[in-house]
Amino acid sequence: MGHTSLEKIIALQKKTPHIRNLCILAHVDHGKTTLADCLVASNGIISSRLAGKLRYLDSREDEQIRGITMKSSAISLHYTTGGNEYLINLIDSPGHVDFSSEVSTAVRLCDGAIVVVDAVEGVCPQTQVVLRQAWLENIRPVLVINKIDRLIVELKLTSQEAYTHLQKILEQVNAVTGSLFTSKVLEERAEKDAEAQSSCTENGSGDQVYDWSAGLEETDDSDLYFSPDRGNVVFASAIDGWGFSIHQFAEMYSQKMGIRSSVLLKTLWGDFYLNAKAKKIMKGAQSKGKKPLFVQLVLDNIWSMYDAVVTRRDKEKVEKMVTSLGLKVMSRDLRHSDPKVLLSAICSQWLPVSQAVLSMVCEKLPSPAEISAERVEKLMSVGARRFDSLPEQTQELKKAFLDCSADETAPVIVFVSKMFAVDSKALPQNKQRPLTQEEIAQRREQARQRHAERQAANQSAENALCAQTEALSVKTAVEEDNKEHFVAFARVYSGVLRKGQKVFVLGPKYDPSLALRALPEGCSAADVLPSVPHMACCTVDSLYLLMGRELEELDEVPTGNVLGIGGMEEFILKSATISTSPSCPPFTPLNFEATPIVRVAVEPKHPSEMPKLVRGMRLLNQADPCAEVLIQETGEHVLVTAGEVHLQRCLDDLRERFAKIEISASKPIIPFRETVIRPPKVDMVNEDMGKQQKVAVIHQVKEEQTKYPEGVQVDSTGLVTLTTPNKMATVGVRAIPLPEEVTRLLEDNVELIRTMEQFSLFAWEDKTLDINQKILENIQEFKVKLESNLQGRKWRGAVERIWAFGPRRCGPNILLNSVEGYRRPSVWQCLEREKETEKAEIRDFDNSIASGFQLATLSGPMCEEPLMGVCFSVETWDMKLSAPLAQQDSIDEDSQTAEPNIDNQNESSDTHETNAAGSSVDCYGPFSGQLIAAMKEACRYAFQAKPQRLMAAMYTCEIMATAEVLGRVYAVLSKREGRVLQEEMKEGTDMFIIKAVLPVAESFGFADEIRKRTSGLASPQLVFSHWEVISSDPFWVPTTEEEYLHFGEKADSSNQALKYMNAVRRRKGLYVEEKIVEHAEKQRTLSKNK
Amino acid sequence: MSIFTPTNQIRLTNVAVVRMKKAGKRFEIACYKNKVMSWRSGAEKDLDEVLQTHTVFVNVSKGQVAKRDDLSSAFGTEDLTEACTQILAKGELQVSDRERQSQLEHMFRDIATIVAEKCVNPETKRPYTVILIERVIKQLQQSIQIQRAHMRLRFVLPARDGKRLKEKLRPLIKTVENEDFTEQLEMVCLIDPGCFRDIDELIRCETKGKGTLEVLSLKDVEEGDEKLE
Repeated sequence: MGHTSLEKIIALQKKTPHIRNLCILAHVDHGKTTLADCLVASNGIISSRLAGKLRYLDSREDEQIRGITMKSSAISLHYTTGGNEYLINLIDSPGHVDFSSEVSTAVRLCDGAIVVVDAVEGVCPQTQVVLRQAWLENIRPVLVINKIDRLIVELKLTSQEAYTHLQKILEQVNAVTGSLFTSKVLEERAEKDAEAQSSCTENGSGDQVYDWSAGLEETDDSDLYFSPDRGNVVFASAIDGWGFSIHQFAEMYSQKMGIRSSVLLKTLWGDFYLNAKAKKIMKGAQSKGKKPLFVQLVLDNIWSMYDAVVTRRDKEKVEKMVTSLGLKVMSRDLRHSDPKVLLSAICSQWLPVSQAVLSMVCEKLPSPAEISAERVEKLMSVGARRFDSLPEQTQELKKAFLDCSADETAPVIVFVSKMFAVDSKALPQNKQRPLTQEEIAQRREQARQRHAERQAANQSAENALCAQTEALSVKTAVEEDNKEHFVAFARVYSGVLRKGQKVFVLGPKYDPSLALRALPEGCSAADVLPSVPHMACCTVDSLYLLMGRELEELDEVPTGNVLGIGGMEEFILKSATISTSPSCPPFTPLNFEATPIVRVAVEPKHPSEMPKLVRGMRLLNQADPCAEVLIQETGEHVLVTAGEVHLQRCLDDLRERFAKIEISASKPIIPFRETVIRPPKVDMVNEDMGKQQKVAVIHQVKEEQTKYPEGVQVDSTGLVTLTTPNKMATVGVRAIPLPEEVTRLLEDNVELIRTMEQFSLFAWEDKTLDINQKILENIQEFKVKLESNLQGRKWRGAVERIWAFGPRRCGPNILLNSVEGYRRPSVWQCLEREKETEKAEIRDFDNSIASGFQLATLSGPMCEEPLMGVCFSVETWDMKLSAPLAQQDSIDEDSQTAEPNIDNQNESSDTHETNAAGSSVDCYGPFSGQLIAAMKEACRYAFQAKPQRLMAAMYTCEIMATAEVLGRVYAVLSKREGRVLQEEMKEGTDMFIIKAVLPVAESFGFADEIRKRTSGLASPQLVFSHWEVISSDPFWVPTTEEEYLHFGEKADSSNQALKYMNAVRRRKGLYVEEKIVEHAEKQRTLSKNK
Repeated sequence: MSIFTPTNQIRLTNVAVVRMKKAGKRFEIACYKNKVMSWRSGAEKDLDEVLQTHTVFVNVSKGQVAKRDDLSSAFGTEDLTEACTQILAKGELQVSDRERQSQLEHMFRDIATIVAEKCVNPETKRPYTVILIERVIKQLQQSIQIQRAHMRLRFVLPARDGKRLKEKLRPLIKTVENEDFTEQLEMVCLIDPGCFRDIDELIRCETKGKGTLEVLSLKDVEEGDEKLE
């Protein structure tokens, strides 16, 4: 068959019933791309000799090198059968888990799918996933059992054994389909039950008899299953180029044996045998020990062929077979030293795989026009919205979907499932073609015109302007050449999409009901319209026919076709719906089986290339449906991908296409929090503390001495007293752990705290900030909750005495005012607006204390990470200040007390200035600054006086796993300090859902490890959940005899908290208590031993 | 094999000598390499891991042991261990290459951390990562745009001083974000943190304590994560 011309394909595109949109799905390495190669070869695009070796659709270099497909790519094929011509839009998809997002984008655009299963490996994890995906998208699958040659050549099975093996595989596949079906029926049943229940309670009486049948019996599922006699199974060996369905053999033998083909069709697969004497087909081959019909008539032939050609290399027999089959084999192939060449030469003529597969596809898979109403409703109802709740005009569009008409009047509906980057050289516009005679003439004409224009331009200024703009546009065109071009991977569901047409581009969050209200009735994209969120109008730039790595330009694409749309990168991020009608709803978002979880920080090798990296990452985000990119608060550029292979591809893409710079990827920075806890009751070996005899440790004493510098006094209860360097002020601070609930409460109510803070600021200046009633109520509620959680003697009146929150004035730490005789306005001012009877005064330098607290909470003493859940209680605060000095330094406070003090201040202004001069001489700097520093230090020491702990960020992790790999999932979790919260079985399947928590610090490489250990049968999903105290003490050293016994004197077994703390300190360049050499004696001896 | 192999001779290998001059005498002790700095910083707590032998020498390489009298006159004790710890703490030594290397590394990290903490990318107002800063410092020919993170201040000045002060403050302020001059002059602005003291002083003296100055944020950086789209 020759190369199909573009015109032919364009003509075929218009015949909707003769179009088949299908994708090839399978587990990795089951032969999708090889099969696609065979199909492509049938159209003469590549040589059939190269089919299976070339992997035509793997156009990326890394795909070829690694030998796995990484993206979905489409190609249009032409196929003729029984006088009917078909256009087949084939989409090849990747099989690796990391790229299952690409599968989603492919499945969405298709009406049918070819599921490929390896005859040796059988059903693999990814096979289950793709079957589920096809099921969820309501597309019809057909089965290809591939690599049958491996059964013969590698496993050396007899034809009888192979038959039972194939039967088993078929059963496995059908079991998966069956479980999908039952889970759906059960779900529907549950929904119905819920509805029934609600109606029951309304009526007040329901029938008591529960229907246990679960509806499984009523629903017919027979058409879902794969069976050769139904014609939806093909047996193939794509690498050798052969494949067959039972139809072909049935027809072949009905002529030979004189049995009706319909009878053969029913009996070729199954427990039937041929009674040679009676010339009758009988049932029960197995019980009678006879060869089943399939073995006798089909497999035996293939086996003997392999035997003759590959195993025995019997030339004569081969020739006999070839002539009996009526084939022509070139003598070159016959003489070839590799028997495989001869084999594929014979087989591809005898049982061409493309013939078998394509005829099955044309027969069994639906055309775009046969789209089911159920699928349309599913596509149109976004999220949890029901189809009935959509606006009326939108519901009307359902008809357009079902009609699938290419009329002029039909609304255009196109879904873009992904954007992919194309080298500008690959675009047909930029391709170099031999010029035709007319084109040359045209160009000559153009040049002549331009010349004339230029001459005219000299005469009038207006023309000059024109020429200038022209020149400009030429210039931009040149610049664009270096740019990456994006082509939208899309399918037309209704109408005809034309080049130059004005259309609406609807984002995934677009709401048709909103737009319909905003837009005038019957408007089109060409009108000037008010802007509607998530909607844009644009002109279709160019349309392409996707031919694997090639693109062909088209002028129009009628309904039911897969196409590429150029020039959309400005309007579409990842996916979108294109329509001429604003009432069109956005399609339901794609079902992604894998969510991005592997995080890395990306940096350019040359720091000056940062802007290039950012631009590249933006492009990558657009080009990859599953990658996420973000800039973190720390300034890191983080790339989140679905897995390690996906990550590698993303990095390659960044390097070679989008950023074109050297980059390096590293583990992202992991945040920690610092906190204090109540003194633990038991030690590391679970012995009661206090009762034990401490073994004297010499170095312990030394440490105690160096801990606190001069001028800091610490008493046994943890009260730290510190004096400023100029000896003017003394503060006493105590650190108290906050109860966990309070910390959580503070974290959840950051916004409220911020509002309160703002209010206090305004009150500072005698202004009022209006807070609406709702927020006030929320604040009141927040206060009540805090009070209820801070019970006990220690916390009496604590809520009223809160001085500030920190860090950044709204964090999860509290500064408490426990200074005797100091009543400052409370943070709850906004609640007490009415009863301002007793005016609280603010002491001078109130702000300095608060600032010191803010600084202390921002970076703790352990590794300069923010504090969390710590309460600092200021217990003493003495000032030995002369009044004027205080006044001079207090800059913030006097506005509060301004009125009564005005006279006083004017009087003292003389002394004031002299003092000001005096104080600035103070060698320790301004007093407010000293107090801030003193307060900060006091907080840090108070913190250190308590048992300190590190808090780790935790992910919650949901893992779906089958029962067989459950044990290995647990092993990986416990190795990475994870903790299992719950485990339950998913109804209707054999999957377990495990919920666990895992420290973020341990999550790097977790997804990959768990996938590897469970052979891909478990897939985790990680979401940040909360902060958790790490129970081990980072400063712990063994002190008791038991601990010595358990951990040894050095306790060099790993202390998790210490490990984390030192890693952070080392990263920040802080001092790490670490010896350069652990064992002095074990150093290499430099001098020669004499 | 030589017959004259002395059996009572203890040979020390891997010696790091710590010297000290006291009371006109020279004292030396024999320590292990790479250990003295760890002892001084408190990381190594076991004295036996530092000292090769609890002996004070006059000359380690010649094996001459210090005299008892000299020891007691210099250190006030005859206890060798006590003398050794004193020499360890105050004596001079050759810092080994590994010790120096780790010191330098720490310092380098520290500098990079400080730079990363205090500065932002002026375009995005986001900090650079420490690793990036380190790389820039190392390859000096490269340069990136860097800016000291600004401090956001808010001050309220009485009306009569407002105009005069504003002129004085202008050179110190980078950008004015918000200005309100009705009853009193209220400004929110970004400044270079180095100018804070000047501004503080200026406002305090000029308004005689009537103006208020408040630090809204120590460094003006973008908060939260940003998705690139």
